Amino acid sequence: MSLRHLRIAAHVELISLTILLANLATAHLKPISSLIGPAHGCAYLFVVAATWNLKRAATTTKAIALIPGIGGLLALRQLNPPRR
Amino acid sequence: MSKLLLCLHVLAALLAIGPVAVAASMFPKALRRAHSDPGDREALATLRILHRICRVYAAIGIAVPVLGLATASSLGVLGSGWLIASILLTAAAAAILALLILPGQDSALAAAQVPGSSPGTRSPARLAMLTGVFNLLWATVTILMIVRPGSTTGV
Repeated sequence: MSLRHLRIAAHVELISLTILLANLATAHLKPISSLIGPAHGCAYLFVVAATWNLKRAATTTKAIALIPGIGGLLALRQLNPPRR
Repeated sequence: MSKLLLCLHVLAALLAIGPVAVAASMFPKALRRAHSDPGDREALATLRILHRICRVYAAIGIAVPVLGLATASSLGVLGSGWLIASILLTAAAAAILALLILPGQDSALAAAQVPGSSPGTRSPARLAMLTGVFNLLWATVTILMIVRPGSTTGV
């Protein structure tokens, strides 16, 4: 699993959670919950699986990937620090 | 909304589980061929692509249980016995795939790439057995999904 897929899934994870929470706080439309909910679940599990499959991911990175919403982006930051 | 979720669930199951079932079943035979002729580059390439199909489609397969749970909760059947049995069987199949089959293929592939490595006869047989169990579990889940024992809307 390449880092590109992890990056896409990490963004989907955060964006879908934002949409879900915004929907919950405002209109609470049922179709939005039932469509974005599974999308968020898939993205979250994909991020966790992709990070755990990376050979160079440290145990801390794998644990960070479990954090809901921002775990994927934080794990990516751990894998690719700004200066390298 | 339930109909859309159910369509996506079935589509994901067809497209994700099908390739894994086929590729994982073809892997042990390709592994035996690679072992019988260590210089066969084509056999190694086949092994690599089969393993890649298994890995990639297993990751896509995450969508199947997620969409399934969403469908079940939107239909209000989460407490049904047939569904709970299917969830347990799916969890068992996923565990076999992620914890036994994929790592087994990975190490078999790594061993096959080293020239002059001793051809183990146990590894292909073990992978074939695990893949058979995996396919059997999915067949059982599919039958449970269609027959739905105890459901009032069964076929």
